[in-house]
Amino acid sequence: MKTTFLISALIAGSTAVAALAHGGATGIVKNRMDAMSNMGKVIKAVSPMMQGTAAYNADSVKRAAAFFAQHSGEAMTRMFPEGSGGKPSEARETIWSDWETFAGLAAQLGVAAQGLAVAADNGLMGDAAGTMSSDSMMGGGSTMMGSGSGMMGGGMMGGRMTVEQIGAMPADGAFAMVTQTCSACHTKFRLESK
Amino acid sequence: MRGMFKLALGAAAFVAAAIGALILWPIGNENRPITLAGDATRGAYLARAGGCIACHTDFAAGGAPLAGGVKLATPFGTLYSPNLTTDPEHGIGSWTVDQFARAVRQGISPEGAPYYPAFTYPFYANFSDQDIADLWAAFQTVPAVAEPSTPHKMLFPFNQRWGLKLWRAAFLEKPQSEPVPGNDAEWNRGRQIVGGAAHCAACHTGRNILGARKSDTQHFKGSTSLPGGGKAPAIDFETLQKRGWTVENLAFALKTGIRPDGDAFGGAMGEVVLYGTRFLTAEDRRAMAVYLMDDHSGG
Ligand code: HEC
Ligand code: HEC
Ligand code: HEC
Repeated sequence: MKTTFLISALIAGSTAVAALAHGGATGIVKNRMDAMSNMGKVIKAVSPMMQGTAAYNADSVKRAAAFFAQHSGEAMTRMFPEGSGGKPSEARETIWSDWETFAGLAAQLGVAAQGLAVAADNGLMGDAAGTMSSDSMMGGGSTMMGSGSGMMGGGMMGGRMTVEQIGAMPADGAFAMVTQTCSACHTKFRLESK
Repeated sequence: MRGMFKLALGAAAFVAAAIGALILWPIGNENRPITLAGDATRGAYLARAGGCIACHTDFAAGGAPLAGGVKLATPFGTLYSPNLTTDPEHGIGSWTVDQFARAVRQGISPEGAPYYPAFTYPFYANFSDQDIADLWAAFQTVPAVAEPSTPHKMLFPFNQRWGLKLWRAAFLEKPQSEPVPGNDAEWNRGRQIVGGAAHCAACHTGRNILGARKSDTQHFKGSTSLPGGGKAPAIDFETLQKRGWTVENLAFALKTGIRPDGDAFGGAMGEVVLYGTRFLTAEDRRAMAVYLMDDHSGG
């Protein structure tokens, strides 16, 4: 299967696919751009499955999850040494002034990825019952604005969910936990380019 | 030319001769009192979709839900979203549902003063009485926060609210959210959310120098003047198609924040998804995508 092949190739470290462009970046900046791009490629490869437009394959999802886990946490943060911002990098300076939040999101990616690996066997919830996210927000009515501040507060995207909690979700729900972490970090710490 | 006329009229707002008359000029219209019972869960859903929570909660500073304080930089000065908690002094705890309705649908304060259009009330004008009752019920569940709203820092003359009456006369337009006959329920639901609560055009439609959307010529053609100086790309159906968007991957993006190329949204759009559309039902996200990917220029 093509998807599985791509993911395997990436995991095996043949990052040649991503060698292009990046605005002429070199060294560690280029390395992290490559790592990010490769995660993007894996996301792209499994997205059709998650959308239900390609056949679901739990093994591919597990490989993808392992790939994200491998690139999360410290593996990610050590590619952002202080002073490595500025053109052509899109990293915001706030990474270094708010390192704790940045590192927290990098770690959260690992938690979500491990959760996804467990959730892979749960299969998709699909569109019909795809209201999971809204359930979780509205459970008990008051959660959204009231005491549910755990959900709305600093932790952004279900920030404090555990591997077990994410692992209990349908695979597409767990996948969204991964991607929402990508997006949360980009929202906070990546400059807009396009 | 209508556009020129509007500009001239708008500019006059800030030159202003008949200020006295303006201050007394009544705006808005009276509505029948709202007596419907509200559903807080439905209201919470609408508050997500409408961005009320996102814009009135200072997430970056770890602020309490709906206590305000989000900074909105405009070319005319800086606005801060106010405290909307149930605190009777600093929030809206002493308001009536009818005052709330007037603020949200018409952009007019309980004292009769016009609000700045950075508050996205022009998009909420088609909210039904039931929508308002539901929102109101949801806001009643918000714990009071006894912190005063941060005062706006608008430059003269933009700090004179009477000027906004002329702005309203020149630029206030109906939201494009009412059903269009000949389209099915899903399409119309998409239109209702995209053109109403979710106020996608607030960022994706260009604005003139007085901050009014150029809806007639620039609808969804992108904008280079977001609050704080950001820009947003075009999302008219032709551009979306060209850039590889489909109904499926657009609905997916509104849930996951993932673009067709596998990259993740950042910036203002990341927030739209993180604080808004990811909480909607799959059916609503799909309806939005169906509407957006269709040629809806006629309506
Ligand atoms: C902890 C923060 C963080 C997380 C989590 C994160 N990113 Fe990033 N990402 C960044 C930053 C910062 C940049 C800009 C790097 C630079 O230009 O130096 C970036 C850049 C990118 C790029 C552009 C790379 C290029 O070619 O310039 C892609 C694609 C990307 N990320 C995808 C992802 C995906 C997919 C995920 C989730 C699986 C993810 N990122 C998770 C912070 C993060
Ligand atoms: C883009 C940011 C933004 C969004 C989205 C937004 N608001 Fe606001 N809101 C503001 C700003 C800024 C003001 C202050 C306007 C002024 O002072 O003229 C405001 C004012 C208000 C007020 C008047 C408060 C007072 O003390 O007079 C109410 C009520 C209100 N908003 C309710 C809502 C509701 C309900 C929603 C969602 C349906 C919403 N807002 C969405 C920015 C926003
Ligand atoms: C607060 C401003 C804001 C609002 C409101 C907003 N957007 Fe965006 N949108 C942006 C920005 C900024 C980008 C560019 C993000 C990036 O490059 O990561 C964007 C990007 C997009 C894109 C990607 C387009 C492309 O081809 O690259 C789509 C699709 C989109 N928005 C749809 C929507 C929809 C649908 C809504 C209403 C639910 C909406 N936007 C509301 C600011 C906004």
